[in-house]
Amino acid sequence: MEEIKTKKSRIPQINSIINYKDFFGEYPLIFAIKIISSIAMFYVIYEFYVYHNPLDSLITKYAPKVIANFRPDPNIFVTWGFIAGFCFYIFTLFKGKYKLLIIILTLAIVGQYISDPALDWQVGEYVIPAKVETNGDAEQTQWKWKPVKITFDDKEGTNERIADAKNRLSNIIFGIVPFLGAYGIWKRKGWAIAASVGLVIIIGFLYNPNLCLENYDATYCGYDTIEKELTWKEYLSGGIFIGLGFVIYIELSYAAIKYENYAEQFKPAGLDSSLLSDVQKKSVAKTLRTLFVSYLINLGVMLFITFSVAEIVININYYLSTTEGRIQDSIELQGPYGIVFTSLIFFMLLGLLRMFIGAEYDIEEN
Amino acid sequence: MWSKKAVAVAGGAIFLTLAGLIRLNYMFISAGLVMLTFVVLSSFLDVWMPNVVVRRETSSDNIFEDGSINVKFLIKNTGLGLGFVEIYDKLPPQARITKGSNYTLLYMKPWQEVSFEYSLKLSLRGHYHLGPVRMRVKDAFDLFYNEKIEESIHSFSVFPQIEILEEQVITSRAPKLLSGSMPLNLIGSGTEFYSLREFVPGDSLRSVNWKALAKKGKMMVNETVREDVMDVILLLDAREVSAVGGGRDTPLEMSCRAAATYAKQLLDERNNVALMTYGDSIKRVDLDRGEHHLFKILTSLSSVIPEGNLKLEIVLKDLLPYIPSGSPIILFSSLDDDHTISEAFTNTISRGYTITTLSPSSLDFEEKMKRIPLQPLLIARIERENMISEIRSFGMSIGDWKADEAVNTALQGG
Repeated sequence: MEEIKTKKSRIPQINSIINYKDFFGEYPLIFAIKIISSIAMFYVIYEFYVYHNPLDSLITKYAPKVIANFRPDPNIFVTWGFIAGFCFYIFTLFKGKYKLLIIILTLAIVGQYISDPALDWQVGEYVIPAKVETNGDAEQTQWKWKPVKITFDDKEGTNERIADAKNRLSNIIFGIVPFLGAYGIWKRKGWAIAASVGLVIIIGFLYNPNLCLENYDATYCGYDTIEKELTWKEYLSGGIFIGLGFVIYIELSYAAIKYENYAEQFKPAGLDSSLLSDVQKKSVAKTLRTLFVSYLINLGVMLFITFSVAEIVININYYLSTTEGRIQDSIELQGPYGIVFTSLIFFMLLGLLRMFIGAEYDIEEN
Repeated sequence: MWSKKAVAVAGGAIFLTLAGLIRLNYMFISAGLVMLTFVVLSSFLDVWMPNVVVRRETSSDNIFEDGSINVKFLIKNTGLGLGFVEIYDKLPPQARITKGSNYTLLYMKPWQEVSFEYSLKLSLRGHYHLGPVRMRVKDAFDLFYNEKIEESIHSFSVFPQIEILEEQVITSRAPKLLSGSMPLNLIGSGTEFYSLREFVPGDSLRSVNWKALAKKGKMMVNETVREDVMDVILLLDAREVSAVGGGRDTPLEMSCRAAATYAKQLLDERNNVALMTYGDSIKRVDLDRGEHHLFKILTSLSSVIPEGNLKLEIVLKDLLPYIPSGSPIILFSSLDDDHTISEAFTNTISRGYTITTLSPSSLDFEEKMKRIPLQPLLIARIERENMISEIRSFGMSIGDWKADEAVNTALQGG
């Protein structure tokens, strides 16, 4: 019997170029969780920068000395930071040599874009390569190359493009937060999510209200006069939503990692997909659905209670510091120390309550 | 208990609050307090956590190499609480999961009973155990959990793989009182035809050959070959040197599989079988028969570990007084690193015993693992061939057993 030889196609299969299955995953639910947590992350970081104007940051005070035209805009860097993080995740899905190819292509395109205005190619009269007479003697001929000369045509154009590229790249200073968040959610990297939250705290720490006007003019800062301070109650209420937003972001991205890891355990090491049968996959999908629905109910209830309790704590403090009596004489109670003090008392009471209604843990005696 | 996540969130929240105080940032203060409230409130969730009882059921207590064992977990919430439950069954490192998973995450409702299953495969003989079971009852956000280690240990043995032997290669010179299935080439009560003879008073009518009566006109009876039971001694070399190679590809593993195969065959034929292993010391499973005895031999084979370097001559000197005279001995050994083999064989044969040898070649494994250069390998092969020739010259049967051959073919041509 003649052996049938199958000819191997020269066109590589999509599986050998990119692990696209990692993007979609095996379970639509996990894909949906990633999308929801990405939206939550995008929203909360955008809102954070609305409250913490990056122009009022200490970073913005010093960065323009190094980067010309540095003017961070949350509308730009949050969106592009997220897109860059997501694109970096997609880049990691490419396999082996294709990663290198993308790096080379990117460098080549950027290099060509930047150098294009400056470089001009002047070409001589010879055909490559040509045999030409030397010293006007027909007997004496020599092979010559067509002279190619690189002339610097428009240096300013290139310098402008370099400055523009630097300016665009500078968005990553504040855009690193959505960059890491997007990468962490899609690549299932807990450290990236934790780092994005940590950077939020650092960036918030460097924020000084109206700092921009002390160093730059109103045109740069985007506002004419020092804005009227919000009342501390208004700030606190806004902070509650930011806090809840971060809880949602952390919880959903963590849930995406947790449930994906649960599904991953059925995948043998080194394979892109599990060996489960369709029936088994349906069973896993059902378990995931049950887990996630229960999780969402728990999260919804807990967020509502957290919001209510936080509002109560703030309002108790507000009530105590504004009602008639000796307690209002305390100046500290009306400020940030007062709210922290009231909260600590509240948490202490909750702790006492927890002691009595919590589960009892018996200590085993030897 | 606090999880790492709870510590991180609470730590972050406290830091936010303090940073807010230092920087007079109300946003930080309120965001920190919200996160702290979330953690504190979550700590109350364990009040309603389920009370979970776990039971493990397994398909069998013992399996053969490459066999599968199915494990089923029954999880019951005996209380009114509800919450997330994580269950992890600890497996031996050699086990490979073939179906399902030994880890599960569940959401338990009051009085709910659920189950999950997994199958695992073990390809190497030995004694193993499943468990303990680690169980975590936790809140939805993995902030607080109660961990319980259920000391539910399920011990099981993986016996060496048994092959079906196609023919009987062992014979004995010593008949016993009880009849068995080993042909002795003597007239006796058996099933195999031997000859015809005339009927004498006392012969059973069942042995009359009616066709011969019709042909010869006189009563003829069938005579059969005597079949008897034997006392067979399986002698297994478990010295350290027998562990050359790796995983299932070692002379010791091959010897164990062969010994199990022979034990099964011989016991099925109602023989008495004893197993003796030598390495650091001599371990014995005394002569006996039956299914129960096979179990004892297989259990003993599962326990064999390579150790020591007792020489065959010393081993046989010690053992021969306890072996019934004339009983066949089957030796499973790679015959490596033992200069006493010739003397051992000479002494044993001179006392009326027969030794059949199955010798797995350790050189194949050394070559496979590329641990021996070509020149020394050739010399070692020549030495081994000389050794085998010498044993054959004693009139004893020996099988030079290659790594990829079945037990069945090992003695062919020996």
